[in-house]
Amino acid sequence: MRAGPAKDTMSGLIVPVAILLAWQALAWRAATPLFPGPWQVALSIWKLYPVIIGQIGYTLMRALLGFAVAGILMIPLGILLGRLKTIGRLVEPMMDMLATLPPPAVVPIVMLFAGTGDIAKIVIIAYAAAVPLIMNTYEASKGLHPMANQVARSLRLSRFETMLHVDLPASLPMIATGMRLAIASALLVSVTSEMLLATNGIGVFIQRQQENFQIAGGLAAIAFISVIGLIINSLVFQLEKRWLFWHYRSSGTH
Amino acid sequence: MSAGRFDPLGALHRLNVLVSFLVVLAVWQLVAISGFVPAKYFPDIPAIASAFWSMLTSGELPGAELRTLTRALTGLAAASILGIGLATLSDLSPVFRRGFAPVAALIQPIPPAALVPMAVFMLGLGPRLYAFIIVLVTVWPPYFNGVAALAGVPGEQIRSGQMMALGRWQMLWQIKLPAALPEIFAGVRYASTISLIAVVVAEMLAGHDGLGFLLIRKAFAIRIPEVYALMFVCALNGILMNGLIGLLRWQLTGWHMRMTEQPA
Repeated sequence: MRAGPAKDTMSGLIVPVAILLAWQALAWRAATPLFPGPWQVALSIWKLYPVIIGQIGYTLMRALLGFAVAGILMIPLGILLGRLKTIGRLVEPMMDMLATLPPPAVVPIVMLFAGTGDIAKIVIIAYAAAVPLIMNTYEASKGLHPMANQVARSLRLSRFETMLHVDLPASLPMIATGMRLAIASALLVSVTSEMLLATNGIGVFIQRQQENFQIAGGLAAIAFISVIGLIINSLVFQLEKRWLFWHYRSSGTH
Repeated sequence: MSAGRFDPLGALHRLNVLVSFLVVLAVWQLVAISGFVPAKYFPDIPAIASAFWSMLTSGELPGAELRTLTRALTGLAAASILGIGLATLSDLSPVFRRGFAPVAALIQPIPPAALVPMAVFMLGLGPRLYAFIIVLVTVWPPYFNGVAALAGVPGEQIRSGQMMALGRWQMLWQIKLPAALPEIFAGVRYASTISLIAVVVAEMLAGHDGLGFLLIRKAFAIRIPEVYALMFVCALNGILMNGLIGLLRWQLTGWHMRMTEQPA
């Protein structure tokens, strides 16, 4: 089936080009600035990229901070809960309940306590990132093989040492999955929170573009978000492969 | 995933849900009474319950809830069918697979909130807006899981199909899709959570009707007990949706769950 990489790339281009052409054709037919085609969007990207990059900086910064807060709090908590079985079982349904509460629904409450500034947004992002992190960490730490525990005991590790040297590394593959979900939702909620609590950032930029009927400009900003999301995703994937190679090697996937 | 259906702790676990719900209510009430947080911002349980009741009897909540749930469910159904369809197409045609994968990778990270303002202009405030937003963000988990699952169908199963001289479509319909279904369902389950979030976000930003709109309106009117009550409703919706998907999953892939969840 292999027909050389060059031919593969060529045939791989057919679908994206077809989609772009169809979009452009629809835009021509609509013939209104409210329905721009890919060409207008490309022009807007060229015109607006300094502003967009500046605004996206705020967005990414807050997403990163929120994610860091969630990671620092939730990974140890998840491992601890996995150890304390009784409390863990009691807390589990609460986590399920929180998991089903969409992060934007938290916005009005956070607004009451923390206003509309950076802190409020970081709290919302941290909440959004916390849910997948704690669920995956807890799930992994709960399901650890009892043998690992016995090894730790025979090495006379203290409870804390066991958590640090046994539970944490053993849970890392699932924590990594949780992190990937958490990063995606941190980015997503960062944009959403800006749109609801407008100050600055790419979310606000998109709203301003819309208010001025600059749909192409808004789509240009969306294009930037999507490219950055893509870059972050592949970066996370690379890091995961490098740090968790032992897991992939032993389980035989990839 | 709970291990095994013969778990003697199973019944206790079900009780746990109730116990943990009661604990949440009790802690909440204690915090509210203690005056630790101003009562204006953190109303006690009776206040929230009465706010819930008054929204329920005024017909405000049932209407919004019905709209939001209908949107989420129809959107989820459409997105799942589309996602599975795209995955199937990718499986049948390598050209489509190679071409569509980068498109998916680019569209997938776009937050629904960013799409709403643009889509309002392109599609108006009607059902088309919600359909577009929900499908565009919800289609990916079934698609990605579908592609992975269809590619991962064990070779023995495929060869058995070839031995029975099945055609391309028969192979797809009778062997590959059933084998891929459990993994696809994991994607649909994840998609159901996203679809609820996307609907609420779209309603919050498009500001027209539904649960998200109600939430924002109550927040700006500083009707705090109502806001908390609505948050509980949002969480309940998630549980409801999970239950529905679980039921459907049992119907369609029960054979697989029985096989994997019961240790022999």
